[in-house]
Amino acid sequence: MDRLRNVAVVAFSQAPVVACDEHRTAHEMLYPQVASALEQCGVRRDDIDYQVAGSADYIDGRPFGFVQALDYIGSWPPREDLHLEMDAAFAAYYAWLRMQSGDCDTALVVGYGKTSEGEPERVLNLQLDPYYQAPLGLGPTATAALQASAYMARTGRTDRDLAERASRRRTDGARNPFAQVRVGATPEELLATPWLVEPLREGYVPPVGESAVCLVLAAEGKAERMCEKPVWIHGVGQRVELQTLGSRDLTRSESAATAARDALGMAGLPSAREVDVVELCAANPVEEMILCDALEIEGDGRQPVVNPSGGPLVGHPLMMSGLLRLGEIFLQLSGRNRTHAVVGAERGIAHATQGHCLQHNLVWVLGTERRWT
Amino acid sequence: MSEPPREPVRYVEADLALPYHYVAGDYRARYLRALADKRILGSRCRKTGKVFVPPVVVAPDVFEPADEFVEVADRGVVTTFCIVNIPVYGRDIEIPYVAASVALDGADLSIFALVREVEPEEVRMGMRVEAVWKPDGERRGDYTDIQYFRPTGEPDAPPETFLHRL
Repeated sequence: MDRLRNVAVVAFSQAPVVACDEHRTAHEMLYPQVASALEQCGVRRDDIDYQVAGSADYIDGRPFGFVQALDYIGSWPPREDLHLEMDAAFAAYYAWLRMQSGDCDTALVVGYGKTSEGEPERVLNLQLDPYYQAPLGLGPTATAALQASAYMARTGRTDRDLAERASRRRTDGARNPFAQVRVGATPEELLATPWLVEPLREGYVPPVGESAVCLVLAAEGKAERMCEKPVWIHGVGQRVELQTLGSRDLTRSESAATAARDALGMAGLPSAREVDVVELCAANPVEEMILCDALEIEGDGRQPVVNPSGGPLVGHPLMMSGLLRLGEIFLQLSGRNRTHAVVGAERGIAHATQGHCLQHNLVWVLGTERRWT
Repeated sequence: MSEPPREPVRYVEADLALPYHYVAGDYRARYLRALADKRILGSRCRKTGKVFVPPVVVAPDVFEPADEFVEVADRGVVTTFCIVNIPVYGRDIEIPYVAASVALDGADLSIFALVREVEPEEVRMGMRVEAVWKPDGERRGDYTDIQYFRPTGEPDAPPETFLHRL
């Protein structure tokens, strides 16, 4: 292969993030999103070559739930299917790889998880190693707090810095009709919220949320016919670090930095500052600071707009929060965003993460122009 | 430094409780509630007219909504079955027993059911069966409201009437 294949996001549909949808199962939440995404790109279910889902049976507590989901993704006529126990952004990466191999032209990517049915703090404990760390009962909030205190100790950032950043996201999120938290908050208000796990306050950590997301990818030739303004993938990179929290510097994200360098290199861009808008999958203000450091996007000079949707701080549905970032960038660059648009945005970065304390990072660079000719 | 343990550690036991709170969903909730009134609900596909029991939001074969609720009979036909000779943990039914697929009259797909009041070797594809409900006042709107199915004694259904409803 002398060059990579141009692949674009051509449709995206999401259910609003809510604390609990009492009337639908995860699969039932998914169906309207798949139907809507297909309608957007004007194709029938059997025009899709490949499908891949991001979900975790431990979230729903339904054994082989990903198999049951097939009916709601559209299982007839049969097609190749894959399921990842990961955020669906990684499922999109798989689909992109398959399209690079040339054996499919269109792919449906879905993410779903009925977070309210289980206890995510306990479920995500299982992502830690089973000998030394998982038996301690650590959940993602506790490990995030460890990371936050290490970061604050190294950089001198204060409680107020965290409150100010969280407050910016809350203000942004108030304009996002799909966000779970749609009430702005001042830093003072957030500083008055109780500790969840010190140094993280209740106001800094998103509530548990659930949603259902569907995104359609198509290769050049088809993408232009399926979407008036496809958003092309210019570059992608993903890196994973050691699982053991004590084996890495929690105050930096080497894997996010390397993944971003890979993705930017593939996109032919010297720096993340060349893009107009960035969506980071940061579940608290410290994660956002660490990611901004890794991508080198803050400081003097030109800077992209970070998380205009409010990001995961205003709605963090497990298993699809990363795919939502990709969808947000699609909406921004294709001019479909009506409520919190970054005017004139032509290039963007979408980030997704898995594991505790930003263990595994995935970075997409996207643009309105086709990358390879 | 303390001495290394004389016996190597071969395994670590870590108990974990994962509690869940299920949501049945609107469709499944209607189905279960109807059972308390001795009614069995299905949903009809807008496009093909197929009736799914229990009701589903989407007809998987054509990917169209199946959102018209219809009532089906509490009797039907054994489309396929197996005789269980191995005790299943948590299921205190005396072996051997018959686990069958029963296509209810008016439904286009079958449900799983227990067939009793008949010798296992006498059960056959095409056998007509009816639901045996829990008595009035004991039904709570869950799967145990239908205790099992039993033969009706009607003549067997010809294969062409059920082979596409397995």
